[in-house]
Amino acid sequence: MSDVAITRRHAGRIRISPFLVLVAPGVVFIFLFLLLPLVVVIVFSFWRTESYNLYPDWNLGNYHALLTEASYRTFLLRSIVGALIASVICLVYAWPVAYFIARHGGRYRLLLVLVLAAPFFTGVILRVVALQGILGPGGLISITMAELGLPPIQGLMYTQNAATLGHVYLYLPFMVTAIYLSLANFEFALLETAKINGAGPFRAFFEVTWPLNWVGSAVGLVLVFIPCLASSITPQFLGGPNATSFGMRLAAQFNEAGTWALGSAMGVVLFLCSLVVIVLMSLTINPRKSGLTARGLD
Amino acid sequence: MADIGSQREEICLSLQSVSKHYGQVKAVDCVNLDVTQREFFSLLGPSGSGKTTLLRIIAGLEQPGDGRVIAGAQDVTSLPPYRRRIGMVFQNFLLFPHKTVSENIIFPLRMQRASRTECDEGLKWALDLLRLGGLGDRYPNELSGGQQQRVSLARGLISRPTLLLLDEPLANLDRELRAEMEVEIRRYQRELNIPFVYVTHNQEEALTMSDRIAIMRNGVFEQVGAREEVYTKPETAFVASFIGESNHFDGKAIDTGATDMKIEWHGKTFIAPRQSDISPGDSVRFSVKCEDVDIVAGGRAKNAPEFNQVTGRLRDIIFKGQTANYIVETQDKSEIVASQGPRGVDVKIGDDVVAQWSTSAGMGFKI
Repeated sequence: MSDVAITRRHAGRIRISPFLVLVAPGVVFIFLFLLLPLVVVIVFSFWRTESYNLYPDWNLGNYHALLTEASYRTFLLRSIVGALIASVICLVYAWPVAYFIARHGGRYRLLLVLVLAAPFFTGVILRVVALQGILGPGGLISITMAELGLPPIQGLMYTQNAATLGHVYLYLPFMVTAIYLSLANFEFALLETAKINGAGPFRAFFEVTWPLNWVGSAVGLVLVFIPCLASSITPQFLGGPNATSFGMRLAAQFNEAGTWALGSAMGVVLFLCSLVVIVLMSLTINPRKSGLTARGLD
Repeated sequence: MADIGSQREEICLSLQSVSKHYGQVKAVDCVNLDVTQREFFSLLGPSGSGKTTLLRIIAGLEQPGDGRVIAGAQDVTSLPPYRRRIGMVFQNFLLFPHKTVSENIIFPLRMQRASRTECDEGLKWALDLLRLGGLGDRYPNELSGGQQQRVSLARGLISRPTLLLLDEPLANLDRELRAEMEVEIRRYQRELNIPFVYVTHNQEEALTMSDRIAIMRNGVFEQVGAREEVYTKPETAFVASFIGESNHFDGKAIDTGATDMKIEWHGKTFIAPRQSDISPGDSVRFSVKCEDVDIVAGGRAKNAPEFNQVTGRLRDIIFKGQTANYIVETQDKSEIVASQGPRGVDVKIGDDVVAQWSTSAGMGFKI
């Protein structure tokens, strides 16, 4: 056997190690689409734009503006709070949905998850516009209220709440999928054990189900929080004048304003915020305590 | 009056015509049972016999379609499991993987809102009882199978339940550990004076530990009785074949006396203890335990009226350690298995032998 291998090598065949074959695509992807743009954005953020042109004059002016101008702080804070609220609403709403699918979905489990993700087959703009059709002045809700002779609901559209609702609508499937994947590996018999040992349904949930599926919740929170934080289209279409988000301002820097350097600095700020959230969340996950590792050792 | 009172105290678990049907399948069919305070009671049966369903009904994890469950003088039929004060130990342990050994064990006490000191005392007691000292801070995935099962037992026992249910708790352990745990579990039951209801498909386990055994099949009890009784006096053909290793002869009753009867089998005639419901002409299955059958070398066998004798050739010897199974092939190619200590028997494979058993051994059943 080994003789054959040696002759082959001597024959000068190039052997690509399978390890490399497996590793390369991931490394290339991360380098091209994550690290490279990130470096570019970081570099730009220390440059200067003038009349739609970028000049490599290294300076901290962009960050200085972001820190001192009150409006940017307002936008950022509004985006963070909005994203937090949307994430928590998604979490609360997604749990029963995911739980139902995992527990009672039977052989339709996968199909049900796919159906929930179906809106993703269309574009974001289409989905936001669809929401306008429901919430907007001539939309489904207003018309129904008018038909029933009821006064229109104030603040249904073009408010921060409408933007939050849009976010929940857009990103709920992420949360459901994350929690579902966690529950799919959950040993539901542990709940019976909890009940035998004196825990009512409510306590059993918080003693067993919730902590053992925190991984799913945490991943879901990150997956919803980050796009909501950076979101620009949703608040633009649904939010109205008082819901201008950090993401909208950021997009404007690259469009109308043409201030790429400032836009890049805003991007870096968003990136750092997301990073903080990811780090905070990963600190809450104790792999030793999570059900995932314990199951593997059965 | 006083008599009834004390008897009521005695009985810890009472099942009254409990049934559970899944469509056409009768998982549990009209089962009646009383388990007393000091009892170790086993439900023994092949898989699918309904024993686990019955255990889950007692625990409250399944609702019976019909009948009542009374635990500790209280009708618990409609109570959820967390109000029944019944402990349970599972085959796959089902410890909470995110809680330490200590947290797992005191879980039932915490659910009962016991004070901190009660929890600490209970924990110390349970760790001592199950010899888990020093493991309190470990996580379940850092324990061996035997240790995990001990933790599971500690969790089941810490709140001093009115009853402990055990669902094949030793099935996942290796043989040596199982033998050790059999003795241990029996010890806890005696020390704590809590009735145990133990489900198993392993007859050795049931025979080793139990006071009484119920043999279950197709959702009903085939026989309920003390372990020796179930072993030596099976009431049905199924019990006779399920418990222990037996030889079966399907023949015909040809003559019945007051205490014995004659059975014709393949042209031979056996004498067997009489069953009251058998009359001449009935088809009969006669069962005799392998260890009741002796093997004698052909030349040495003496004709004795107190023995049933069958001649044949020794086809194989299956050595099992303490005993060996001697497989005798008769002239008409039937097999008779005799189980004996290998030392006393001086026969070789291929020898002509006589298999014989006492006319008072074995049991005949109408089929």
